[in-house]
Parts: sequence; C-alpha cells; structure tokens
Amino acid sequence: MKTIIITKKSDYTWLRDIFPGLHPLLIPLCNKPFIEYLIDFSILVGSSGLRIISDGVISDVENFCEHGSQWGVEISYANILPSESLSKVLEKNSRFCSGERIMIISGLLFIHYNKRSDYRSFFASLPPGEIFGCSNGNLSLTGVPSELGKQETPPLLSPVVLDCIGQYYELSNEILHHRLADYVLPGYSNEAECFIGRNVVLQKSVTVIKPIIIGNNVQIFTGSVIGPGAIIGSNVIVDRESTVSESIVMDNTFIGEQLEVDKKIAAGNLLIDPESGYSLTMEDPHLLSGIKSKGISGSPFQRVTHGLTAAWMIMLLLLPYLLLKPFLKLSGCWKTEKIVYHSMKHGKKISLNRVSIEKQSILASIAVFLSLDRFTWLFWVLNGHLAIIGCSPVSVSQGIQIINNNTAGYRPGVFSYSEAEDWPQNTFDSDIVDHYYAVHSNLIKDIFLTQKALFNRIHHEDKI
Amino acid sequence: MIFHLDTSSEKAIGIAELQGRIDANNCNDLKKSFSQWLQYSSNIVFDCSGLEFIDSSGLGAIVDCLRKALEAHGDLRLSGLGPKVSLIFEITKAKKLFSMYPDSSSAVASFSLLGSV
Amino acid sequence: MTITEKNINNFAIISLQGILNASSAPKLKSHFEQSPEGVSVVIDLEKVEFIDSSGLGVLVGIARKKKASSAVLKLANLNDRVKKVFEITQAYTLFDIYDDVTAAAIE
Repeated sequence: MKTIIITKKSDYTWLRDIFPGLHPLLIPLCNKPFIEYLIDFSILVGSSGLRIISDGVISDVENFCEHGSQWGVEISYANILPSESLSKVLEKNSRFCSGERIMIISGLLFIHYNKRSDYRSFFASLPPGEIFGCSNGNLSLTGVPSELGKQETPPLLSPVVLDCIGQYYELSNEILHHRLADYVLPGYSNEAECFIGRNVVLQKSVTVIKPIIIGNNVQIFTGSVIGPGAIIGSNVIVDRESTVSESIVMDNTFIGEQLEVDKKIAAGNLLIDPESGYSLTMEDPHLLSGIKSKGISGSPFQRVTHGLTAAWMIMLLLLPYLLLKPFLKLSGCWKTEKIVYHSMKHGKKISLNRVSIEKQSILASIAVFLSLDRFTWLFWVLNGHLAIIGCSPVSVSQGIQIINNNTAGYRPGVFSYSEAEDWPQNTFDSDIVDHYYAVHSNLIKDIFLTQKALFNRIHHEDKI
Repeated sequence: MIFHLDTSSEKAIGIAELQGRIDANNCNDLKKSFSQWLQYSSNIVFDCSGLEFIDSSGLGAIVDCLRKALEAHGDLRLSGLGPKVSLIFEITKAKKLFSMYPDSSSAVASFSLLGSV
Repeated sequence: MTITEKNINNFAIISLQGILNASSAPKLKSHFEQSPEGVSVVIDLEKVEFIDSSGLGVLVGIARKKKASSAVLKLANLNDRVKKVFEITQAYTLFDIYDDVTAAAIE
C-alpha cells in the first residue's frame, strides 16, 4: 500500500486568507501539524510510501517532513496543475503508483483514527473506489483487494473536511475534549488530559484547569487562569491575570494582561471569533501582538553594501539628473506615475514615482542609458526600504498579499533580477527569474547581476 | 461625534454617535466632550454603530466616561456594537461593565423602563 | 551538457545530462531549432545536476513554441535538485511534470 495526499489551492484558500504565513498542511491541531495526522494514519493503514501532491507551493511542507525518516516512511513530493483530474494525477505519478494499491486522500480531509488500531487488513480487503467523500474532500482506493484477513468488525473511522474556521475550531476542541488518547501528541503528559512542552514557566498562583495542551517556550504570568479547553502553541506569553479558556492560542502570540480570551482563536495580533467567523487585527500591542521571529532582510553587511552602492550611484547621477530631467519634462518625454509599493520592511509601504522615458532624442537616450528613471528610487535603498537589486516591487493595488515563505523573502529592488536576463516575455517569466535569484543570489552575484541589468536596460527600451 | 438629546420620554437622555476609530490620538477629545454632555444629562447612550475600531486607550476613555456618568448618578449605555468592536469589549472584560443594546432606541427605552421600576 | 534523443510512440524523448545554465542553454535551444516543430517532446531531467534561471528560460521557450505548433512538451524524472528550483520559482505551473518517461510518452 502507498498513499497519495492531494491538496489543491482551491481547497484551502479560506485558510490561506486567515493565516497567510502558514501552509495549510502545517496548521496545528492540538499543537500537532495537520500533515502529521495524515502521515500517522497512512502508516496505520500500512503505507510504505507517501507522496504529497499540490498545485501550490509545498516547500514549507517539504522542509518540515523532509524524506520522512522521522516517521520511518518514505515521503516524496510532486506538483500538478490546478485543473487536473485524479486519473491524470495518477498517470503523472505512475512510477510511484506502479504495482501497488494506492490510498488517495484529497482535499483538506481529516480522518479520526485510533493509534492503537490496526487498519492494514481492513484496508487491504476493501474494494477499489471511494470509501467516503463529499463535495470538497474524499478518501479512495485503487488496485485489487486481497482476500486474506478480512475483518468482521471494521475499525471506526470518521472523516472531517476542514472548510471554514469554525470547523477548525470544532475539530481542535473535539480532539482536546474527547480524543486525546487516540493520537500521539507533543509534550509531556504526566497525567491524562494535560500535555506540557519544554521550557514552560508557570509563575506563582497560576491556575491550570484540564484539559489543556501547552507548547514549548511558554510563559504564563502571575494570577492567570489557563483552561479548561486551552490549546496554547509555542513561544507564547500570557501576561498577568488573564484567562484563556476554550480557546486556541497559536504560536508566537502575546496575550496582554487582564484579558479574558474565551471561545476565541488568537494568532499573533489576530483575534478570531470562530463562531461568527469575524476576525480582528489588533493594532494595540498591549492587548494582543505577534512575537516577532527573526527577520529575513539579509545580513547587515549586505545592507551596508547596498546602501553604499546606492550612495555612490546617487553622487554619480545627481548632476545628469538635475540637468536632464527638467529638459526632458519640458519636451514631454519624461512621464511619471505615483505608485504605492510594499516595502522590504515587513508591513510598510512606500510611494515611488514610476518614470517612463520616451527615447525620442539623444538626451532621452542618455537618460535611459544612465537609468535616470530609477534615480529617485535609490534614496529608498539608504533607509532600507529597497535593495539595489531584488525582485520587482509589488504594488499595493495589485492586492496580492506578501507572503513570507521560508524559501524566499520579499526583497524589492531598484533594479530587478529579471532585468538581468534576456528571456522573460511576461510578468510570470520575470517572477520565475526573481524567485530564482531571491534564493540563489549572494553579494558577489548581486554585483554581477546589477551590472548585467544596467547593461540590458540600454537595449530593452520597451521595458522602461 | 454627534450629540443630541432625546426628550421623547420623561427623562432627557443624551445620545452620542461615535464614528470611525477611537484610539490614542483622539480619546482625549471624547473625554473632554463627555464632560460637556454630562451638563445636559447624566444618562447617556453611545451609539457605536458607526464605530469601526477601538484600541486600549479608546477603551480606557469609554470606561472613564462610564465612571463619570456613575459619579453623576446616571449611567452610560452602549448600543449597536459591530462584531469587531464587540470582540475587543469581550476579551478585555469591558463587556461586563456596560449594559449593551442592539440599537440606540432600545438603549433609550431601557432608561425609562428602569425609571418606572 | 550532453543531449541524447530517441523515439517512443511518436514522442521525441530527449535526455539531458549535466549542467543546464546560461552557457549550455543555447545548445539546447539550437537543438530544438533544428528538430521539426510539430513533434511532441518529453524531456528527461533525471541526470541534470544543476539548472538555473536561464535554463528554465529555455524550457519555458520550448514549451511556448510547442504549444504554438499544437504539440506538447512534457518534463519527466525531475530529481530533487531540479524539483527544488521548479518549486521556488513556481515554474511548475507552466509544465506537465511526470515521474516516469514511458508514462509521459503516451498521448
């Protein structure tokens, strides 16, 4: 038996909207990532291999699960296109699927199981086809059933499709209140219904009421009441005299003092009421705030180098800029448009003048040659909002959320990596190049690519 | 902030419409205006249906208003809280301090009910 | 980089071996310019040790040309290093990717 897990972007857009930085397969249910439940289940079913397939980014899942040595099962990954049918997916993974029965879990489908049960002979005896399914998630089997070892009483399995935040909250609660013994959960558990992680500090007169789960590196201050029904993630601080009950506190969250968090989900500075689905972003650090993890804006050395390069270019281009700009503006070759972009600094916005120069005269060609259209952008490098070279800045009006994945941070540049390559024909092509160098570049390559971009810009007048 | 008096019942009741956001920048305005409103009536309703956001200093200001109203032997009641503002009142336990009503007319009516008891 | 070609079921199977970067990309490009346009192609990437953005550029270009002449380009046997590059650049959304050459060479 082997298992294929298919999650498409359309299955989890709702979750991505709420927790943009978190891959939906890694969303914690009682502090255990969703994918771990699926892995555990597929092992209980008797899988020797597992393939995680998606039409979206799965590198976060790959970084977490790696090759599966942690679970003793081989895990591999594959990409598909959004519109593809199941038979096409199986065809594309025919080497993985050949000669074995395949269990297919598709959608954000959670399956309640019991860690003490053995599902191998039961699943081996099931006929091919759908075992259970609904509109946006199902479990099915391919291949020929084996006649051996039919079970009289099939073990109890119940599926849940995660399709809204209320469902997520309910499922977490269901596990916490009724099924804690069914799963292997993280943390020490000296007594039932109470799991506590490493480096957890409970100050004086903290009351803990079971059932609760607490992650690693958690501090609960004096006089707080935790539980009943509290699921607290890792790197969480609950300030003094606050109560947390029937609630989920996600990783990296600070809960202010004297608050009452009841039947809520708190994640960073986001507070969600799972019943109504309303959410609120707190702007007030006294109430609720995110505990910042390390930024990815590059080494200080890199920033200084970019800053110095910008300063040098500003000195070099200041005179030509002051001389040429008024002239070109008068002759109508210099057109500007003000656009607000996302800055390199997380959550900040910058307003830049996007200049287009029509190469009508020799002077205009010189201006293009010197990249004077980007001159004003150089100043933003000095205060760290832009890099000299990076990806093309994303404008706020595009409505795309900047998602900081582990793989590539958003680093907008005065010049973009895609300008250093000849082949990109459309913005998607440019994105490929930008993404590639966001991961594969270093200081030396940056210098080389900046030169190449400057050189390329001279030839590609249509791009400016 | 728009303030007017409702004199439909025997008691004059002040109704203040709070709009937009109340935060560190404008919470002092609210405190100042509230002292003036108290001269017209000590029974006041905050109509929060137009209120979009409130932070902890804004919340502090509203609690301060309540205290002043109670000192003047009146009350401050809230009406029409949106789901987002209501969430903040809930987690900060401020919800327990206030009487809340779905709209301003029921909040106004609540004062006369109480008076008749 | 070495390029070897064979035929299965009217598909040209092209196996690449070595490094696909800015210096070897033109070789692959010219290989395709010489071959007939309307033939569908499977490119076997198992032995590609390294691919960079110029290498991706050539593959994107070939896919476009094949599409224009109503043929297809399929990629097969991506090893972990190559897969990683497709993943971070999200180039996988532009290609049909198979884990087996013979399965890819079926209409």
